[in-house]
Amino acid sequence: MLADTLSASILGVDGVPVRVEVDVAFGLPGLTIVGLAGSAVQEARERVRSAIRNSGFEVPARRITVNLAPADLPKEGTGYDLAIAVGVLAASGQLRVGWRSDTALIGELALDGTLRPVPGAMALVAAVRAAGVPAVIVAPESQAEAAAVRGIAVHAARSLGQAVAHLASVSVLPLAEPTPLPAASAERREPDLADLIGQPLARRALEIAVAGGHNLGVFGPPGVGKTLLLHCAEGLLPPLDDGEAIEVSRIYSVAGLVDRRRPIVRQRPFRAPHHTISTQALVGGGPRVRPGEASLAHRGILLLDEALQFRGDALDALRQPLEAGIVSIARVDGALDLPARFSLLLAFNPCPCGWRSSSSRACACDDAVVRRYARRLSGPMRDRIDLWVEMVEPSRGLPSDGSEPSGAVARRIAAAWDAQRDRQGVSNAELPAAAVLEHSSFARGALAALEHAADTFRLSPRRTQRTARIARTIADLSGRETVTRDDVNEALIYRPVEVSP
Amino acid sequence: MIGVGSRREPAEGATGEDRMPVAARPGWNELDLAAIDPLRDRPFWMTLSQLPGVGPVGFARLLRRYGTAEAAWAAGPRLLDDLVRIPEEAPLALRRLQHEGAAAAAHRLTEAIGRVGGRPMIALDADYPAALGRLNVRPPVLYVRGDLAALDAPSVAVVGTRQATGYGRSCATAIGHELGAAGVTVVSGLAIGIDGEAHASAIRAGGHSVAVLPSPISRIYPPRHRLLADQLVATGGALLSELAPGQVVGRPDFARRNRIIAGLSMAVVVVEAPDRSGALLTASAAIEYDKELYAVPGPIDAVASRGCNRLIADQQATIVTSPAGLLQHLGARRAGDESIAVSSLSDAEAAVLHALIKRSGSIEELMSRTQLPTGSLASALTLLESRGLATSYGGATFHVTLVARRMARHG
Repeated sequence: MLADTLSASILGVDGVPVRVEVDVAFGLPGLTIVGLAGSAVQEARERVRSAIRNSGFEVPARRITVNLAPADLPKEGTGYDLAIAVGVLAASGQLRVGWRSDTALIGELALDGTLRPVPGAMALVAAVRAAGVPAVIVAPESQAEAAAVRGIAVHAARSLGQAVAHLASVSVLPLAEPTPLPAASAERREPDLADLIGQPLARRALEIAVAGGHNLGVFGPPGVGKTLLLHCAEGLLPPLDDGEAIEVSRIYSVAGLVDRRRPIVRQRPFRAPHHTISTQALVGGGPRVRPGEASLAHRGILLLDEALQFRGDALDALRQPLEAGIVSIARVDGALDLPARFSLLLAFNPCPCGWRSSSSRACACDDAVVRRYARRLSGPMRDRIDLWVEMVEPSRGLPSDGSEPSGAVARRIAAAWDAQRDRQGVSNAELPAAAVLEHSSFARGALAALEHAADTFRLSPRRTQRTARIARTIADLSGRETVTRDDVNEALIYRPVEVSP
Repeated sequence: MIGVGSRREPAEGATGEDRMPVAARPGWNELDLAAIDPLRDRPFWMTLSQLPGVGPVGFARLLRRYGTAEAAWAAGPRLLDDLVRIPEEAPLALRRLQHEGAAAAAHRLTEAIGRVGGRPMIALDADYPAALGRLNVRPPVLYVRGDLAALDAPSVAVVGTRQATGYGRSCATAIGHELGAAGVTVVSGLAIGIDGEAHASAIRAGGHSVAVLPSPISRIYPPRHRLLADQLVATGGALLSELAPGQVVGRPDFARRNRIIAGLSMAVVVVEAPDRSGALLTASAAIEYDKELYAVPGPIDAVASRGCNRLIADQQATIVTSPAGLLQHLGARRAGDESIAVSSLSDAEAAVLHALIKRSGSIEELMSRTQLPTGSLASALTLLESRGLATSYGGATFHVTLVARRMARHG
C-alpha cells in the first residue's frame, strides 16, 4: 500500500517542501530510503523502527520503500523522522482512512517515540505554508519558532503517539498561539561611547556609518581605541523592524542560534568573527550549506577587528555581499543565494608592528613589509569602504570634556533611519547609484562642491557616488532634507588617503 | 666599486687606510689630472671603475701609482695589488673585462646609458660637476641623464627620512617650494618621503632639481618615483648615478649616494630624521666636506625628528626656523612673489585656517582650539584642502600650505 506525508528541508537559509512517499510491499522485510538521503537521513531507519515499536504500533514485516521528493535535492538532517514514521503507519493500514494527510510533519524521533526539535523550524514551516499546507505538527520545543509563521495552524506533539492520535482525530492537539513579535527592547549594551577617550573624528565617522549603513575602516597604532570604538556600534543600532525581524530570525533559526522559547530576533545583528575564521565560516558554504557570518550579520553589522590578519581569500569573498547584498554559493546542483546585506566595519594597524603612524614610538617595519602588509586589503575591497579614518593617540594636555554617551548618538541615528525609510524605503547605502541624486535634494552649492572635489582629489566615479551617499546621511543626521555644501565637504574628509611621494 | 654581480656590505671596505678620515687620506687633490689626456684615457676610466673594489678612493690610488688609467689597465692582474681590499670576484671580473677590451666595454656602457637618454661622464670632463671636482674623494665616473647646468646655480640638498610624518612632508614641501621659487637647485635622493616632497615641490615652484640615485639610471629606485624622475629631467633638472646601466647591484648603496648629494651642494638641510637615519650620513658628509648644515627642529617627543634635534643640540647644524629664514641664511633671494586669488572663506573656514597658521594639529587639537563641532571642522578642513590651503599629507595631522602662509603674510 502507498501513502505520502509532507515535511520540509533546509536549502541555504530557506525551506523547501519535501514529500515523503512510503510504499509497503511484499518482499524481504527491510526499510530503504531513497531520494539523495544523507547519512543522518539513512539513520532514520533505525530511529523510525524503534519509535514505531515503542509507541505501541508495529513495523510491518514487509519491504518498505521511502522516497523523499523532489528526489534530486540532497537531504540532510533528522527532521523527516516523523513524516517517515507516519507514512509507514499509513501505508501499512495502521492509520484509518480519512486521516489528516494534509498536515505537514516536522521533527526527529527518539527511540521511545518522543518528538524532538530540529533547527530551522521557522524556515521549514514557512516553506510548507508557502506550499499551501494548512497545518503542521512540530516538537513542543519548536512550537514558538513555528508559530512565528502566520497563516498556518501549528500543533505541538510530544510524541509519535500524540501526533498519530491527532492525525486520526482521536484526540486533537491544541492550536499553538501565534508567537508575538517581542517589543523592541532598549536595553543598554556595553561598551558605551562614553568609555572612549577623545577621537572626535572617528566617533563621528562611526555615527555616520551606522546611520546610513555605510562601511567604515579605521586604522592606527595599538591602544588608541579602534576595537572599543567599533564595538560601540552594537549599542547604536536601532532594533529590527517587523519584516526584518522575521527575515533575520529565519536565518538564525536555520543556524540553530535562536533561543527556542523566544525565537524572534529583535536586536539588529552584530557579528565580530575572530581573524582565524575560514572563508567558508565567513561567507557560508560547505557540503550542507550553512549561513556564514556574512549572512548572520544580515541587516546588521559585520566587524572585522585586525582586518589584515584575516585570510586574503576570506576578505575578498566579502566583495560580492558588499556589492550585491547576497552570497552566491556555487554547488554541483547550481548556485545558492544567501542573504548578506550588512555594513562592514574594519579595524587594523598600519603595519605589522603597529607603530607606523604613531608619534610616540618608532616603527620597526621595513617599507617593503609595510607595503606588502597594506596590500592584504585588495584594491577592490578598499574601494568598497565608504568611510576611512586614521585614529591617532590623543594629544596630551587637551581638556577631556566628557565623551558623549552612546544613548545620545543612538537617538540621532534612529531619527536618521526613520528619515531614510520614509523617503526611499531603504538605507542610503542601499540606494542604487542613479537614485542617490534623484532621491535627495542636493543644494546647488553641494553639487558644485562634489564636482570640484572629484576633480581636485581625483575621485573615481564610484568614490564620488559614495561621497554623495555619505553626504546624504550627514544631512539626515542633522534632520535636513536638503544636502548642503558643508555636508559634501564633511563627507570628503573620510575619503581614502593616498600618500603622496 | 660596485661589484659586478656581487653583494657588497658597506662596512666591508673599511679597513686600514679607509678608516682614516677621508680628508686626510691621500686622495684626488694631490693628483696631477691635467697630465692625463681625457679623450685617450676615457675608456679605461669607464672600464676600471666597473671593477669590484675600485671606488673613488681605490681609483685615486691606481692613478697615483700608474699615472693614467691606461697604464693601470696595462698592468693587468697586478693592479689589484694596489687595492686595499680585493673582493673575491675582482680577479674574475678583471679577466672578463680584459677579455672584452677596454674600448669595447666603454662602448657597451655608453650605448646602454644612451638607450635611457643618458651619458657617461668622467672626472676629467669639463662639465663634471664643479662641486665634486673640488672634493678629495670624487666618483671617477658618473652616469647622467638631463641637464647638469642646473648645478651651476646655487644648489642645496634637502634630505630626510623615508618614513616621513605629515609634519616632515609639510616642511619638505615648504622648503622645496621656497628654494625652487628662489632659483636654488634642490638636490636630493629621489627616495620616498622627504626627498620626494622636496623634489616635487621644487619643480612645482618652477625651480630645478637634481636627484642622485642609489641605483643605475636605467632602473629608477624607488620604482614608484619613475614619473617624478621623468619630471625632474623634463623641467631642466638631472638624474645622477655612480652605477653603470645594467650593473647588477646587491642592495642600493645609500651611504655613497648620500656622500655625492652632500658633495654636490653648498648646503645640506636635514628636514626630518630619526636616530640612525640615512639622512644623518648625508649630514656627516656635509660636516666632513665643510658644507653648511641646517636641520629642521621637531617636537621633542617626536621619534621622527630625534636625529634633527640632536644635530641642533650638538651645534652641528643651524636651526631652520622658517623656509624664508633658511633662504635668508643662504643668501638667496626669492625670484618673485606670485599673487594668489582665493575666493572668500566662511567664518568657520577662516577660523580653522587661522588656527592652522598658528600651529598644525590633529582634528582633536583643532576642535579644542576652534570650538567647532566635528562635522563643521571636517567640512572646513576639506574645503581648505580642496583649495590648496591646507593638507594632511594623508595623515591625521593638518598643516597649512605655503600658499596659505603667504596669503596670511600679505593680509
